[in-house]
Amino acid sequence: MEIRLSSVLLAAALLSGCGWFHRGEKGPAPIVAEEPQAEPSIIEPQVNRREVKTPKIKAKDFEVGAYFGALSIQDFGVNPVYGVRAAYHVSEDIFLEGFLARSKAGTTSLEDEFPDITIVSDSGRQFTYYDLDVGYNVLPGEIFLGRGRAFNSALYVTVGMGDVKFADKDQFALNFGVGERLLITDWLALHLDVRDHIFETDLTGRTKNVDNIEATLGLTVFY
Amino acid sequence: MRRLLALLLSLQAFNVGLVHAKEQLLEVVVAAPYLEMHSGPGRGYPVVYVVGRDEFVTVLYSRTDWFKVRAAGGQEGWARRSELALTKLASGEPAPIPPYPQFTTHRWELGAGYGVFNHQNLVTAWLDFGITDSLDVEAVLQQALGTIDNRYVASIGMRHTFIPEWRWFSPTAGIGTGYQYIDDKVPPKPLQTSNQMAYVSLGARGFITRRFMWRADWRKYVVFTNQNQNEEPEEWKFGLAVFF
Repeated sequence: MEIRLSSVLLAAALLSGCGWFHRGEKGPAPIVAEEPQAEPSIIEPQVNRREVKTPKIKAKDFEVGAYFGALSIQDFGVNPVYGVRAAYHVSEDIFLEGFLARSKAGTTSLEDEFPDITIVSDSGRQFTYYDLDVGYNVLPGEIFLGRGRAFNSALYVTVGMGDVKFADKDQFALNFGVGERLLITDWLALHLDVRDHIFETDLTGRTKNVDNIEATLGLTVFY
Repeated sequence: MRRLLALLLSLQAFNVGLVHAKEQLLEVVVAAPYLEMHSGPGRGYPVVYVVGRDEFVTVLYSRTDWFKVRAAGGQEGWARRSELALTKLASGEPAPIPPYPQFTTHRWELGAGYGVFNHQNLVTAWLDFGITDSLDVEAVLQQALGTIDNRYVASIGMRHTFIPEWRWFSPTAGIGTGYQYIDDKVPPKPLQTSNQMAYVSLGARGFITRRFMWRADWRKYVVFTNQNQNEEPEEWKFGLAVFF
């Protein structure tokens, strides 16, 4: 019974499918026997069925962008840093963010004093990091510029972990940061961030935790 | 037979869909006494405009729990999800405002966390897709940072949640396969720098609040080597995830 029902449905579907393939072509004119003209019917129903499709709402919870600034690599001077960032906003308070950046370390004071000494090879001076962070908008608000303009903003804190590759070695690193997001429009934001990357190293003789503080300026787009 | 039927019917549906592919914005009618529009997508932002009952608003897009809307007069602002959910379509049906994702029946999960792999610090991130409420496919990318070497592990597996309706604590178990790449820091070089692996896991998960959940996992790996013995490292990790 079920098979027969399916066959009937399939036949119906096939027939309607054929109709789709032949759309636009005119079939042969039907041969109709001539009949005396009847009175035209008074009401000709013309029903135009409208397909109702509710539009979807686009979610703009992602934020991507780039930043640059100064990174203080402990014992190796302050150097420019460039990076990219991507965030997902979970709620109005909390977001998850990833960072990927690169800098190049300078020389230590020891190397400056005694040029024959090299602590880190030239290729090892590349400082690369990635971070996975969770952020919290502590102080959301508005910033006023003159009388007529107000920009939405938020002061946020971030905490996370990741990898720092320095002196050709990867180290597990924690990071803590504070930043300010200023929304120029609803989709474009300016960021000011200060973050500290902490990891353990023995580069300068003894094993110690080093603080590498960076201050950056970034631009992001919400989509 | 049934599949063929389904295919034909879906082709027909696609045929209909093609005709109405033009994008439009959602228009809703305020059904509550009023709808408040805030200057920003957050609870503290001031109300800048109020739309009265029976007036139309256009929904432009959403950010977290807030929706950017435009009133008939062109005024724009942010409306809360719970308030916008009370609006109706022009036909009188409730507006299709996407509901808040439910923890026990969520489909996607994105998380990251900290762990220890074979006595090394581990950074982990995962993406999880629920096939049913209790069976998931998990894809994990992680990096173990040790003093001797530095490993990258990618794995994919299946995980079973024993009692998915327990919100706060629910045990899990899984199996899967993976691949590791070893980047040595200190000589000598490892005999093999990349290996195939398999694992079994035991863990637990729970709901925290809103769209957040936690996950803890213990894994026992078998690393297939070309030596006489396979390695069997252990790993545990704890992380936070977002579901949607």
